Amino acid sequence: MKKLLGIAVGTAMLLGTTAHSMAADTMALVVSTLNNPFFVTLKDGAEAKAEEMGYELLVLDSQNDPAKELSNVEDVLNKDIKVLLINPTDSDAVSSSIRAANRKDIPVVTLDRGASRGDVVSHVASDNVLGGEMAGKLIIDTLGGEGKVVELEGVPGTSAARDRGEGFNKAVGASEGIEVVASQPADFDRTKGLNVMENILQAQPEVDAVFAHNDEMALGAIKAVQASGRDIVVVGFDGTSDGVAAVEDGSMLATVAQQAGMIGAIGVMTADKIINGESVESYTPVPLKLVTK
Amino acid sequence: MAALLELNDIHKSFSGVHVLKSVGMEIHPGRAVGLAGENGAGKSTLMKIIAGIYSRDAGTVRYKGQEVTYSNARQAIDAGIAVIHQELNLLPELSVAENIFLGREPTRMGKIQWDYVRSESRKWLEALKQKIDPDAPLGTLSIAQQQMVEIARALSLNAEVIIMDEPTDALTDIEAKILFDVVADLKQQGKGLVFISHRLGEIFEICEDIAILRDGQMVHTGPTSQITENDLIRHMVGRELSDQYPFVPAQPGKIRLEVEKLSAKGFSEVSFSARAGEVVGFSGLVGAGRTELAKAIFGANHITGGTIKIDGQPVTIANPRQGIANHIGYVTEDRKSEGLIQMHSVGENMSLTGLSKFTNRFGVVNRTSAFITIDEFVKAFSIKTQSAASLVQNLSGGNQQKVSIAKSLIPGPRILILDEPTRGVDVGAKREIYSLINTLKAEGLCILLISSDMPELLGISDRVLVLSNGKLTGEFSREEADQESIMRCAVAGQ
Amino acid sequence: MNIKQFASDNKSLIGLIILMVLVSIANANFLGVDNMLNILRQTSINAIIAMGMTFVIITAGIDLSVGSILAFAGAVCASLIAADMPLVVALVMTIAVGAALGATSGTIISFFNVQPFIATLVAMTMIRGATLVYTEGRPISTGSFDVAESFYQFGAGYTFGVPNPVIVAAVVFLVCWFVLTHTKLGRYVYAIGGNENVARLSGVNVTAVKISVFAISGALAALAGIILTARLESAQPTAGLGYELDAIAAVVLGGTSLMGGRGRIFGTIIGALIIGVLNNALNIMDVSSYYQQIAKGAVILLAVVVDSRGKANA
Repeated sequence: MKKLLGIAVGTAMLLGTTAHSMAADTMALVVSTLNNPFFVTLKDGAEAKAEEMGYELLVLDSQNDPAKELSNVEDVLNKDIKVLLINPTDSDAVSSSIRAANRKDIPVVTLDRGASRGDVVSHVASDNVLGGEMAGKLIIDTLGGEGKVVELEGVPGTSAARDRGEGFNKAVGASEGIEVVASQPADFDRTKGLNVMENILQAQPEVDAVFAHNDEMALGAIKAVQASGRDIVVVGFDGTSDGVAAVEDGSMLATVAQQAGMIGAIGVMTADKIINGESVESYTPVPLKLVTK
Repeated sequence: MAALLELNDIHKSFSGVHVLKSVGMEIHPGRAVGLAGENGAGKSTLMKIIAGIYSRDAGTVRYKGQEVTYSNARQAIDAGIAVIHQELNLLPELSVAENIFLGREPTRMGKIQWDYVRSESRKWLEALKQKIDPDAPLGTLSIAQQQMVEIARALSLNAEVIIMDEPTDALTDIEAKILFDVVADLKQQGKGLVFISHRLGEIFEICEDIAILRDGQMVHTGPTSQITENDLIRHMVGRELSDQYPFVPAQPGKIRLEVEKLSAKGFSEVSFSARAGEVVGFSGLVGAGRTELAKAIFGANHITGGTIKIDGQPVTIANPRQGIANHIGYVTEDRKSEGLIQMHSVGENMSLTGLSKFTNRFGVVNRTSAFITIDEFVKAFSIKTQSAASLVQNLSGGNQQKVSIAKSLIPGPRILILDEPTRGVDVGAKREIYSLINTLKAEGLCILLISSDMPELLGISDRVLVLSNGKLTGEFSREEADQESIMRCAVAGQ
Repeated sequence: MNIKQFASDNKSLIGLIILMVLVSIANANFLGVDNMLNILRQTSINAIIAMGMTFVIITAGIDLSVGSILAFAGAVCASLIAADMPLVVALVMTIAVGAALGATSGTIISFFNVQPFIATLVAMTMIRGATLVYTEGRPISTGSFDVAESFYQFGAGYTFGVPNPVIVAAVVFLVCWFVLTHTKLGRYVYAIGGNENVARLSGVNVTAVKISVFAISGALAALAGIILTARLESAQPTAGLGYELDAIAAVVLGGTSLMGGRGRIFGTIIGALIIGVLNNALNIMDVSSYYQQIAKGAVILLAVVVDSRGKANA
């Protein structure tokens, strides 16, 4: 089946190029990791859009390693690419990659995660602070403005953990009746989400809601909550397929869906504008979506 | 003449055990002191105190008239006291020259002067009549050559006092002779020497003075000319050793081992046979291929040609496991790296080779039956250890050797290969090992004995074979064998 | 045996007790029965991996591939359960896969004379890659057949009030302890680590024993992967990242020497518990995330320093 699809896609691409009667322009997408479904979805969105618009898209996986990222970028810069789309492993570490692109006058678009230095033409991302705030408000509404809340944090020091935490705490801090009884890191990992939540449940006799900085941790926390037999609502973040499924079967209250595919697609559309010499915004916010049952 | 180095009333204890009790000793320029004593008498401890490796608990050390205290080996070396250690303290991965200058590489503006290091190394090796490439990795040399490198290192320090702790243990007679010439030179230059050896003949040959330690006390000091070898042994062990090599004539049985045109690394086309109830001695210089032959028969070295028959049947022995399965026992010359696991207990070591004897078909070890056997051997061999659970590294050389022999006996071998079984073993334990060999012979074991100690080999063997440069060059019955004719065969193939 | 001897033989146990006393003073919830069972359950995964690692480390080897084997085995097990395989069949097959992966590393190490560090580093990378290929980078759910529920119970349920993973770890402990102390294989494991040369000349089949220890390590990593998968009802492609380091830390905290030749399986359990108690304590005391890693590193450093000082004085 896959093979057939591959042939079909190949043929379509071939037809596409003949139709334009010129070689397709190439753009490159360097992704922080393809071990995480979120970034796989982002990549899929970008690939679909590139195909639709008749571009060839080179995809490279940095495996969450800034060094690998730099060598990936160096590699693609040696190919004839028009735009570099990069989803950085780390906002600071990516700077040298971006400068390498700047030196070759290849325009750079950052996706999801920003870069702290270097010239970036445009940044495409969902607003994590806003997303954290959305989650906080939903919890306040669900609990009727009163209750005890646990926050499961992402990898300490990452911008996603910082921003989502900031938005969430801004929302719950404004509400008198809501108390955050524990904020503990579980490193965006499902197993750690389970273990850390189990430990917190041991220490906290009363917990009404959990906000996890991503769906993986939320799904782990749900296992811990179910095993304890307590009645606690869980809100995740990212809207991964597992997360959405959990919302649908009722075990998770909601997930703040980052529209990963849309980030990829908008990235490619932005790149298309750059290639065609159109002006682009320096920041394109991608809407977040609260997925509830 | 004033003493170069003078020790007075030295005391030393280790965790409550008093190992040196009021020891005094003098080292004079231009003279060598032979320091004798059984293993564990305190010789090495005393030398380590002189060399700054151990600190003394009480007493004084005067060097050139000044009282001195060295808190580490570096200080002693800088003051002019060098030690040739019994255990080789060299790094096999480094080159010969690097080893000789280790820790004191001459530099100019931070760059090591390799040319100088090389030429100096060559000079000292030539003084020892050694044709060794200073750039060769040390690990590629034979043990004897490594020992010569260690000696070259000590000489290159230009020390005033040189302590030689068992320097000839790993050497053949030829190399030992070279060393003795060097010792004579050093004395001529006015250096003071301490010479430690289990080979008492050597002490009489090169030392002007003799000092004898027994149980941490200096029981005799005086000129060599005023003491006989028997007196010396009596002082060392505190008892008379009437018969140093107790040979027991035996009735050799049927032919047990036949080796035909056997070739492997280190020797080629060696043929001989050995009978049950017979001790066959192997003589030869270091590097003649004796150990390699033993290891090939046992299966530790790969055989490239020839056949081995046991009780008339050809056997295939490709690894030690098959050697043991064919009833061969091998006691290595190198206890530390091949014989015993130093960090494990006496019992664990002793039962390792024959572990299958105590194991049921599910692989479960019957610890009680193993313990009973271990206990029997500890008693029968009078192994001096607190218990079978004590670590091997805490035992003296002689007792370790007994553990090593017991280890290879537990599987019940019919052929026992003993490679330098008395190296680094004191006089008392040597005698025990000799009588053990006699007992095993009487029980019908076929024993192959490799030894570089010629009187020992002549004293114990029923027959002596001589290897030279990997070839069999001589065979002597007990009656025919004498040191001179054996030595002629040993150098024949050189 | 006198008290002093006992203390010096069981430094890690005493360290664990001191740690527990300190935490229980700081937080009243710590010493509850529920929390104790909770700690045991969380520790059981690392303890099972670390027990396999103990075999390898006693032979003076190291196995960096356990985290990857855990992930791969988890994925295999999840797809077997999702395909409605009988529980026992799925478990046995998964453990066999882990053992085979470990044995492969052991074979490469013995026959090609590759350092265990390098061989298992390669295995770690390749098996992680194979896991990503197999899972296509996404979690594999255990599905909705009846067997999935009993599989979930295997990892998350209780028997006589004790969490099942704890019982599994206890059984593994008894078996490992027996093998190391009462069987020929165990004695050979120590002998090879003590001095491989001596072991070979003593007739030990060094190749076979080395392959066996890596197979044991792989099998136990797979077992840990099964439990993790069962608890989460899904296999994560990134599961077990960095678990090799936790396992090695547990082994070393338990007093087993990385130089080989000595070590105790009981010590490894204590080492795993120290890490487990520490993780739990940091969570229930709500210690800020930035300080947690410092605290963990400091405890491990302290334990290792105390242990090596004790050895120097002995």
